[in-house]
Amino acid sequence: MKILSKDKVERVLDKLAESAEVFVPLSRANSSGFYSWKTRNPEKEQLMLETLNVYLSPKNVGFPQTEKMYSIIQSGTEAQIKETFEDSSPRIIFGLRACDARAIRCLDDVFLTRGYEDSFYKARRDNMVLIGQACYEPGPNCFCQAMGVDPLEPEVDIVIRDCGDKGYIWETKTPKGEELTTSISNLLEEKELKAPEAKAFQTQVDYEGVAEKLKGMFEHPIWEDLSSNCQNCGICTYVCPSCHCFDIQVKSWGEEGYRFRCWDSCMYGEYTAEAGGGNPRPTTKERFRNRFLHKLEFFSERYGYPLCTGCGRCIVACPTGINIVNIINEVKEASVDV
Amino acid sequence: MSDKCSCEQPLVPTVVEVVDIQDETPDVKSFYCRLSEGGVPFNVAPGQCAMVSYLPVGEGMFSCTWQEGQEYLQFAIKKVGLLTDELHAIEVGQKLGVRGPYGNGFPVEECKGKDMLFIAGGIGLAPLRSFIKYCFKHREDYGKITIVYGSRSYADLCFKEELFNEWPAIKDTEVYVTIDNPEEGWDGHVGFVPAYVEEINPNPQGVIAVTCGPPIMIKFVLQSLEKMGYSDDQVITTLEMRMKCGIGKCGRCNIGSEYICLDGPVFTLTQLKQLPQEW
Ligand code: SF4
Ligand code: SF4
Repeated sequence: MKILSKDKVERVLDKLAESAEVFVPLSRANSSGFYSWKTRNPEKEQLMLETLNVYLSPKNVGFPQTEKMYSIIQSGTEAQIKETFEDSSPRIIFGLRACDARAIRCLDDVFLTRGYEDSFYKARRDNMVLIGQACYEPGPNCFCQAMGVDPLEPEVDIVIRDCGDKGYIWETKTPKGEELTTSISNLLEEKELKAPEAKAFQTQVDYEGVAEKLKGMFEHPIWEDLSSNCQNCGICTYVCPSCHCFDIQVKSWGEEGYRFRCWDSCMYGEYTAEAGGGNPRPTTKERFRNRFLHKLEFFSERYGYPLCTGCGRCIVACPTGINIVNIINEVKEASVDV
Repeated sequence: MSDKCSCEQPLVPTVVEVVDIQDETPDVKSFYCRLSEGGVPFNVAPGQCAMVSYLPVGEGMFSCTWQEGQEYLQFAIKKVGLLTDELHAIEVGQKLGVRGPYGNGFPVEECKGKDMLFIAGGIGLAPLRSFIKYCFKHREDYGKITIVYGSRSYADLCFKEELFNEWPAIKDTEVYVTIDNPEEGWDGHVGFVPAYVEEINPNPQGVIAVTCGPPIMIKFVLQSLEKMGYSDDQVITTLEMRMKCGIGKCGRCNIGSEYICLDGPVFTLTQLKQLPQEW
C-alpha cells in the first residue's frame, strides 16, 4: 500500500500547491478553518490535521460566501452583460472529514441535479479534488454515523488514514484521485501499515424514523418550545457545511456594476419577505421549524438522505445552546396524535 | 427551443429591449420585450414565470405571457416595491435582462375536453390570462369558458379591452366582472370575488377551476369551490411567492420539500393539501 510519511506532508502540500490552490485545515486568529496552503502565515498558523473538525468547514471552497457572477454596464437605455465569472481554476481540499465530504455531496445534489446545473458551482466543482481523512476517534459533538455517514470512508477522491508516527495510509478511490496520486508518487512510500481501531461515538442519537415522524409534526407544539431561545442570529447556518441558501444582489456605481451571490440564512426574516409585504415565516418559530425540517425531513424527501451530516459545528457555535442532537431526541420522544 | 431553460448559465440573463409599455391600471403596467435582433430569447408555456432583471437595480420573478408565433414576451407588473417602482419609471427602448422560463406551467393538455372556470383577483389575472389565451387559441379543444374577475375598483381592473370586448364576444364564453365597492358610473356587480363565484354557482360537472389572486382571496375561493362541490383534483392554483434563483437552489421558495419555482408555481388543490400549510 501507499504511505505518506508525516515528515513529507508539507512537501506534498508544496508540490500540490504548484498547480492548484490547496485548502488545508489551519489555525487562524484564535479560530480555524480551511485556508490556502500557499498564502498561509507559517509563523502564526498551524496545520491542524489532527483536530477533528476545524471551526469553519470547507464549504466556501466550492461555494464562496460571496461570489461575483457577472458584470454589467448600463448607460441610459443601453444595457449589457460584460463578463461572467465562472472560476474553473484547480482546487484541492486536503484533510476534510467524512461529514464535510458528505456536505459537499449535498451541495453537488443541490447545485448540479434536478433539472439545472449551476454554472458557477459546476466550474469550481469540476476542477476540485478531495483528499479526505478517515476518523478513528470521534469528537465530543460528532454524530455523523447516526446521519448515515461512515467516518472511516469519506466520499472523496483520496482517503488518508492516520497511523500515528508511522504516517498516513494513502488510498486512491477515483480516476481524479489517481491522476493526483501519480503527480506526487515520488513522495509516497510502498509499505504495509495497519489502520487503528475505531473508537465508539461519545454522542449517541437515533435518527431512524425521524424524517417520517416529522411529516406529521409540522403543527406540533414542540416547535414553540424548542425555538424559544433562538435569537435568529443565523450562525448555525453559516457554520453548517451543507446549508446552501443564497441571495442574489447587485453592486453598482455609475454605469457599471456586477451581480453577486452570497450566503443567506433561513433564520432571517428578510429571507422570505415578499415585495408586497407578506411573509410566510413571520416569526422565529416558523423559521426555526423550517431550518430543522429542511435538515431532517424535506431534504430527505427530495434527495434520499438528510441535509445534516452530523459535524456538530452548529452545536458548538450556537450562542444559546440549541443542539440539533437534542432536537432529534425530542422529536423521537414527542407524542403525536394520529 | 423548449419551454424549459436548458442554457449553460441558468443564472445569467439575456438582454432584451422593451418595445412597448401599456398602462393597465394606476399601478400595473404591461411591458413587451424582445431581442434587439427580433424574436424572443425563449419560449414560455402558459403559467410559467421568468426573471426580469433591471441590470443595476435587481431581479424579480414575474408571470410571463407568450404564445406561439408571438415576437415578444409580455409581463404585467404591479408596483409593490423597489424594483417594480424603478421598472414603472422606464421608457420604451430600455434594455432589460430576462432569464427563464421557470416553473411547471398549467396542465393545458390534461384540461382539454373540459369546461374551464377561471377565477382571478387583481394582478392575479396575469398568470391566468396566458391560459385563457391558450384556450381561445385552441378554442375547439375546450368546452365552455367562464371567467370571474374582480378588483378593488374599476380603475384597478387589468386588461379591460380583453375583459369587456374581446373575450365576451368569443363563442361559449362568459365573463363576470366585479369590483369591491360601489362607484359612480359602474353598473356591474359589486362585491368580493369568492361571494360572486358562489352567486354564479357554476356546476362542477366536467369543470376544471383555476384561480389566482391575493393569498386571502385564494383561500376563500378554495372554500367556496369546496362548498359548491368541486373536488380537490378539479381545482388548480398558482403561487408566485418569494422566488429568487428560479432553479430550485437558493432555498427560499420551499413549501415543505417542494420548490415553488421548480415543482410549482401551479399546483392542484390535492397537491397543496399534502404540503405544510405555509402559503
Ligand atoms: S445559532 Fe442558535 S440562536 Fe443563532 S439562529 Fe441558530 S439556533 Fe438560533
Ligand atoms: S446542521 Fe449542524 S451538525 Fe448538521 S451538518 Fe449542519 S452544522 Fe453540522
